[in-house]
Amino acid sequence: MKSSKIIYVLLAAVLGIIFILPMLWMFSNSFKTDVEVMAPEFHLFPKEFTWENFQTIFDGGNVDVPIFRWIFNSFFVGFAATFLVLLLDTMAAYALAKLDIPFKKTLFALFIGSLMVPGIISFLPQYLNFSNFNLINTYYVLILPYSGGALGVFLLIQFFQSFPNEIIEAARIDGANKWHVFTSVLLPSSVSIVTTLAIFTFMNVFNDYVWPFFTVTDLEMRTLTAGVAVMATGSFTASYGKLMALATLSTIPTLIIFLIGQKQFVQSITATGVKQ
Amino acid sequence: MSTMSNWKSKLTSSLFILPYFLAFLAFTLIPIVYGFIISFKQYNLLDPVHPFVGLGNYKSIFTEGTQENDLFFIGMKATLKFVVFSVPFLVIVGLGFALLLNALPAKLRSFFRSIYFIPYAVSATVMAVIWKRMFDVTGGFINLLLAKVGIHEFDPIPWLLDSPFVWFALVVATLWWTIGFNMIIFVNALNGVPEDLYEAAKIDGASGWNRLISITLPSIRPVIVFVLITSTIASYNIFAQPNLMSNAGDETKVLLMGILQTAYTAREIGSASAMAILMGLTIMIASIIQFMITNRKE
Repeated sequence: MKSSKIIYVLLAAVLGIIFILPMLWMFSNSFKTDVEVMAPEFHLFPKEFTWENFQTIFDGGNVDVPIFRWIFNSFFVGFAATFLVLLLDTMAAYALAKLDIPFKKTLFALFIGSLMVPGIISFLPQYLNFSNFNLINTYYVLILPYSGGALGVFLLIQFFQSFPNEIIEAARIDGANKWHVFTSVLLPSSVSIVTTLAIFTFMNVFNDYVWPFFTVTDLEMRTLTAGVAVMATGSFTASYGKLMALATLSTIPTLIIFLIGQKQFVQSITATGVKQ
Repeated sequence: MSTMSNWKSKLTSSLFILPYFLAFLAFTLIPIVYGFIISFKQYNLLDPVHPFVGLGNYKSIFTEGTQENDLFFIGMKATLKFVVFSVPFLVIVGLGFALLLNALPAKLRSFFRSIYFIPYAVSATVMAVIWKRMFDVTGGFINLLLAKVGIHEFDPIPWLLDSPFVWFALVVATLWWTIGFNMIIFVNALNGVPEDLYEAAKIDGASGWNRLISITLPSIRPVIVFVLITSTIASYNIFAQPNLMSNAGDETKVLLMGILQTAYTAREIGSASAMAILMGLTIMIASIIQFMITNRKE
């Protein structure tokens, strides 16, 4: 190995350690006692290892953190929103890429144009709409808004457009209708791009902070991500061990999904049209 | 007969786009249009009626002494500071990490790519509480480490309380959280640069630095512009970091904090909508200007 290569590897390793340290610190703090966590001494790993912080969070008697409900909420909302986005977006992208529909160009321009409008403009009116229908503090307000986003349609159209028309025509001659072409020809060939959109959407919904924080005030209806913010500024303001334990718990699901889907994820960023 | 079947075909095709179109209408288009309408109303959540006030909300934002004026311009100042402090690093460090990855032996590349990309899996709130704990004045990782090596042992640095330290903390947290994404976009761009360009330069005896300046950067210019614009938009929308990490008061009270305070604490949705639209317009204009400057033909 050339000496310059060794320097690069060393540099990469040092940066790698710096990148891991904050998560290690979170992890280690969540196993420290209340006393040690506040002590002005530097211990990378806990001197006195304790499960106390996790026990407090899981303890059913503590009404402050309905952790199981939060975990359920986050997964339910994440899966429901992802399912909805996949269902609506694949059908819409199929119609825009391969079918003859009226006002196609106008619709396409409208969808793409909406991507340019900053989210904050629609945030408050969206809140008012849900509030007028008395849907604040429900799963509807946590799930439905994600289905109107145009990013997924945009991502899929690019892929569907490159799908060969000959294969579709051959299937049509064999007597397949549009729905069959969609479900048994197009979708089976699009597994990788659809998986990518699924991972993207799930992580985006699971990790979303501002929308679920402001549209849900009922403690039982919080998601994990919003719950961390509630506790950080509430009961756990001064209990760092417990806050870090909660942060650790809420990071594990996305971390697992991320590590499994990482390869797909990296390829997907290539596919989002960021080309030269 | 054929126009009839054509008409039928169009109808069945339209059924595929109908569900998404309805969702788009309800959760994207109508809220955007409604947002503009509300900004022309005096819309307090507690009032039963919401009278139309024309440009009234916009006028009060630009009238000195009103609360809207305070929040908007304090927010604008803090937001622009963050954009200026963070965007250059988001672009340059992202590119630096990509170059470093490509310089590593092939076997190590995907391992380090994963390491640098992991923070992307963390939610905004977890990222903020982790870094608050890192930068805490007492018991924070950084001050404890500094004290251990004898720096600022008895006068801990107020990372989250005072300027300029607080900006450093917010930028570092943001870099850690998002740099992996920019890095991967740059890695893709770098892999797309034709190999023969480098070969030719090597034969001409160009140094690594020269090759970077005269071949790599011009070749990936559109991607640099893309990362520059998306990073600017992301930084402009900053909220979680100052809201959950900072204790520096107005210094780090960014636009989104001001808008959400107007809407949810003061319950003035009309004024908050006007502020949101001004914020949205300024970011769109800024993106267009960035695009025009960076795409200018010499």
